[in-house]
Amino acid sequence: MENNELEVLKKALEREKSARKQAELILEQKSRNLLLISRELKLANQELTKLLNEKSTQLSGVFKNINDAYVVFNLSGDILEMNNNAKELFNHYSDSTLNIKKLVHKKDLEYSNQFFKQLEETGSFTNFTSRIVTSTKSTKWVQINASLIYSHSKKILGAQGIVRDISKIKKLELQKENILKELENSNNQLQEYAHIVSHDLKSPLRSLHALCSWIKEDNIDSFNETTLQNFNLIENTLENMENLISNVLEYSSAGYKIDEYEQVDLNKLLLNLKRTLFIPEHIKVNIQENLPTIKAEKTKIQQIFQNLISNSIKFIDKENGLIEICCNEKKYHYEFSISDNGIGVDKQYHNKIFNIFQSLNRNDDSTGVGLSIVKKIVNLYEGEIWLDSKLGKGTTFYFTIKK
Amino acid sequence: MKGIVFTEFLELVETKFGLEMVDKILSQSTLESNGAYTAIGTYNFSEMLQLLQNLNKNTGISIDQLLLVYAEHFFSVLTSNYSSLISAYDDPIEMLASIEGHIHVEVRKIYPDAELPTFTVVEKTKNSLIMIYKSSRAMYYFGLGLMNKTFEHFNSEATILLEKIKDDGTEVKFIITKI
Repeated sequence: MENNELEVLKKALEREKSARKQAELILEQKSRNLLLISRELKLANQELTKLLNEKSTQLSGVFKNINDAYVVFNLSGDILEMNNNAKELFNHYSDSTLNIKKLVHKKDLEYSNQFFKQLEETGSFTNFTSRIVTSTKSTKWVQINASLIYSHSKKILGAQGIVRDISKIKKLELQKENILKELENSNNQLQEYAHIVSHDLKSPLRSLHALCSWIKEDNIDSFNETTLQNFNLIENTLENMENLISNVLEYSSAGYKIDEYEQVDLNKLLLNLKRTLFIPEHIKVNIQENLPTIKAEKTKIQQIFQNLISNSIKFIDKENGLIEICCNEKKYHYEFSISDNGIGVDKQYHNKIFNIFQSLNRNDDSTGVGLSIVKKIVNLYEGEIWLDSKLGKGTTFYFTIKK
Repeated sequence: MKGIVFTEFLELVETKFGLEMVDKILSQSTLESNGAYTAIGTYNFSEMLQLLQNLNKNTGISIDQLLLVYAEHFFSVLTSNYSSLISAYDDPIEMLASIEGHIHVEVRKIYPDAELPTFTVVEKTKNSLIMIYKSSRAMYYFGLGLMNKTFEHFNSEATILLEKIKDDGTEVKFIITKI
């Protein structure tokens, strides 16, 4: 072999050796990197497994312990998994597959299809209420909230739903509705009855009144004084009777629901009352200044004050009568007071006087209905009414109206 | 530049011109690597340029021609080492059209730091393909050699016209028509 050739070969060998060493170094570095990466991956994997176990345990706990029925179903409605509550709700204890769509009562089918369509389109539905027919053919009311379950790649795997048995609530609701309807009916009937009765009672009274006055006129010369006086008494009694009937009618409509709320300026209202009520000259009525404007039904509030003021006027026996009307603003309500220096009310009657027809003093114009109307209206505004009184000295009525 | 391009190049020079020629072009070049290359290493592109220039000087064969022949040799390396990549195709036009979308994607899985040219498809029919080659290396003749072998591999023939878009050859249009 020529020297030159040997030299070339030697150099080539050197290059090969050097290249091999390079390769070894590169590979060593690569394998070290791989080792590190695989170690990291292993750790990450362990963490993930731990996390997965924790979450799985939590989920299966929820699945078992949740008070409602929990179901997992596919998009055609076949139930893939359900907890014991669901089995109880559906009365389903066999291994056969249940279909949630087929459980729906046929009267609710069309309605339920909308909800399942919504589930597919928007991913969830809430408070879907319908009847279902269980495996034992009993009908139950349920409320379902459902949402889709997606895979990591956003593919729809199925749906999960929480099914609540609302049969009892539904039954109570129906009962309540029926009772309310019955109540409304009987209330209407009662009011109608009161109207008819009062009307029917009033017309013979009017006839009696007319007959009396005709007899009186026809015989004005032949009747003696006592007879005429008796006729006057009959007429007064008839008028009283008519008043009584009017008041009963008023009472029967006083407790009805408040239809319209309006701003009622009490300063104006009381001034107006003072002008229209018949107040004898010896009685002075003092009204506190700057009374509030309240939200209420004007006629009802007027009824309260009118009745209480009339009441005071009726029972003032002093030479210089005094009626005072005040208001005290509290956090949640207004407290009003109407005091007089009248005959007063004995303590034993304090509760009794608010009952209908409980007039303590058989005055000619006292029917015993007024205070019961006042109490009814005050109650309507979630208020209270009570009184303070000393026999012979006077009485103060208090009542509250919710703000 | 990936080491396999150097090792295969020197292998081809040795086969065609003998070990002495290898020794000659290596010693005529200034090489950071001292001419010791391993397929899994990465080396400066300037080393390849010097090797090509010195081979051209010693043999009188143009660099383009050298690249063309080298590419034809390199294709056989690819078929023996990465046969699964090529066997995914049964048509040369299909294979060339998916250099960017498939083959280079696979290359990057093995060599994440590989600096690859881009082949953008401009027009494609069943029997023709127009692509734009872009690379700072301007080794479009290497591409041409690989393409020639691709048609040969599928027992097919084609005329491949080159149109320089940039004079330095960093952007070249390939017009490929199957015969």
